[in-house]
Amino acid sequence: MRALQGLRGPRAPSLPLLLLCFLAALRRSLEHGLSTAAPFTSLPVQEEMMTKSSNLSLESHSISMTAAPFTSLPVQEEMMTKSSNLSLESHSISMTVEHSNMPVEKNITLERPSNVELICQFTPSGDLNSVNVTWKKGDKLLEGNYLVNATGGILYTQHRVAVINSKQMGSYSCFFGEKKQQRGTFNLKVPEINGQNKPLITYLGDSVVLMCKCQDCLPLNWTWYGGNGSVQVPIGVPVNDKYVISGKHANETRLKITQLSEDDQGTYLCHAIFELGESEGHVKLVVLSYLVPLKVFCAIAAEVVLLVAAILLFEMYTQKKKKPSDDGKEFEQGEQLKLDDSNGIENSGPRHRKNESVGQ
Amino acid sequence: MAYRAEPPDGGWGWMVVLSAFFQSALVFGVLRSFGVFFVEFVAAFEEPAARVSWIASIGIAVQQFGSPVGSALSTKFGPRPAVMTGGILTALGMLLASFATSLTHLYLSIGLLSGSGWALTFTPTLACLSRYFSRRRSLAMGLALTGVGLSSFAFAPLFQWLLNHYAWRGALLLVSALSLHLVACGALLRPLSLAEDPVVGGPGAQITSLLRHGPFLRYTVALTLINTGYFIPYVHLVAHLRDLGWDPLPAAFLLSVAAISDLVGRVASGWLGDAVPGPVARLLMLWTTLTGVILALYPVAEAPTGLVALTMAYGFTSGALTPVAFSVLPELVGTGKIYCGLGLVQMVESIGGLLGAPLSGKGNKISRWAMAAVFYHGGCRGELI
Repeated sequence: MRALQGLRGPRAPSLPLLLLCFLAALRRSLEHGLSTAAPFTSLPVQEEMMTKSSNLSLESHSISMTAAPFTSLPVQEEMMTKSSNLSLESHSISMTVEHSNMPVEKNITLERPSNVELICQFTPSGDLNSVNVTWKKGDKLLEGNYLVNATGGILYTQHRVAVINSKQMGSYSCFFGEKKQQRGTFNLKVPEINGQNKPLITYLGDSVVLMCKCQDCLPLNWTWYGGNGSVQVPIGVPVNDKYVISGKHANETRLKITQLSEDDQGTYLCHAIFELGESEGHVKLVVLSYLVPLKVFCAIAAEVVLLVAAILLFEMYTQKKKKPSDDGKEFEQGEQLKLDDSNGIENSGPRHRKNESVGQ
Repeated sequence: MAYRAEPPDGGWGWMVVLSAFFQSALVFGVLRSFGVFFVEFVAAFEEPAARVSWIASIGIAVQQFGSPVGSALSTKFGPRPAVMTGGILTALGMLLASFATSLTHLYLSIGLLSGSGWALTFTPTLACLSRYFSRRRSLAMGLALTGVGLSSFAFAPLFQWLLNHYAWRGALLLVSALSLHLVACGALLRPLSLAEDPVVGGPGAQITSLLRHGPFLRYTVALTLINTGYFIPYVHLVAHLRDLGWDPLPAAFLLSVAAISDLVGRVASGWLGDAVPGPVARLLMLWTTLTGVILALYPVAEAPTGLVALTMAYGFTSGALTPVAFSVLPELVGTGKIYCGLGLVQMVESIGGLLGAPLSGKGNKISRWAMAAVFYHGGCRGELI
């Protein structure tokens, strides 16, 4: 069963006179949010939405109602875009029978209130007319408000949502068929915030700047929460020197923490508030004490000292073996480093000319 | 110690090669991989990248200009004390840098202090190496200088790991500990007394006699010209590739290809330098001419295969000329004056290196490559004389 419904309202016969009367009537009743012809019981809900959005996009609704019930979709879209103060976004999913087991999903990111048009295209293997089309938001079945069309063996269904606040965000799914249902899902979400993936390493007494950024969006407000464990405490509420919240551009926020201590360790959340909801990012902070790298440093330094000692001892040992008569003064530890070397070049002391090769 | 008539060409010399290998790794490998730290410094001190990169520039400048000091000290006291002191200075510089509160602090500690530490280590080591070898000098040089290439591969990921686990302060502390190994490398440099040593005298006398030595001066000028052209391709290769429409990742990969063929070139040339009889200077001429020709071909090559082949060839020839360049010097001035000679050469050629990059930035794409080629040919002519 195909549901043939006009968009948002009663279906009017395509008579020019009735068109004009209807237009006039609608404009008068705008303030009260009434519609003169209301054959469908679900209309009040739709009307409510219509009122809110019609403050901003009046003409579009009225025109589309009175147009012939099935002008092709592109024409209606065009009219919507021209006259709406809210931006219109159009998103579509296409499905064929082959993808029957894979749920087809599309993520839509919305920042500001706008009209969103969701279109599902389906190419059935069998008869077009036998396919049942339904829309759901979450688990709740949506009635009215959507259009079904069939051209050239492809079934189109279109659902328009006026997204004004967070209540209209969520998952919208279109379903084709009764038994073996093909499902396409649109996920309406607020933009994501990027915190920092790697934990920030800092040291006791140092200061650090935590940053959260949003790629292409401008949140209305930012707040920071910090906490150990599950308790989230807002930061910067009693304004003090330790925490300074700033941000050079609207799409980023910076939290500067000075005088770090071990208690400051943990995960910090930056909360971005949009008209259509909230989003958050995480930044993990780790505070180390200086002893941690210092211990490694001392270990490596000790290893170097051992190496040097080993090399010099080896050298003295091999030289001792070759010059047994030269014990004592010349090969004592400590000073001998410099003396040994200048011995060969500048020392005016006695030279020992031997035929053995050195260092073999 | 006994005076030797000629270098041992082996024996303890191979330990000196090992020491030089680790030293070139710890000096130039650290310098080349320092870019990883710069990203952290930009964020921590909130300074632009251009100012942060001055740290490396100061370090390199101090290292090169301080080379004569290093060589004078090693002539007077021997290479071992000079290098060990240099190692301690380098480590100290890095240690102090880990407590830095401003960029100036870093300029002084890493740039000045560590830079002078590096100046005291690199030149004396190479000079000591050339004293230990005569027949196999080029090979020893080539092997020792591979330390630079290999460490560039290893240190960049290592430094990044250190930064992830200890932040830049802790990472600098550990790089300081790493640099302490220069002291151990210095301990390996057993002093060698050759027959020519009492003849040439102290450092002052050596330097004055060198400055009057015609072939030495011409060699220095030639090497300076070569050094001017040396860095130009590395600086501009990536930009050139991007202009031709390459993506960043394949362009970076091509640089790695150049680095690998550089490595191979060094060892191969080192072996070749010893295997082929006659003066090594002829080989230097060969490599510089080839490099010049390759560079001149760069503007002409458009196809990816041509560019890859050219880059591999360039890496090979430019790597090949490095050990040979160092090997020519002892033949020119004798192993007795090698410390001072090398120090002077390093200092003068650093002027070329400093000028090369900015000069090349002025011309347009084609003129850059032409400039580099010209410099190489100039160096080549210098060799002919």
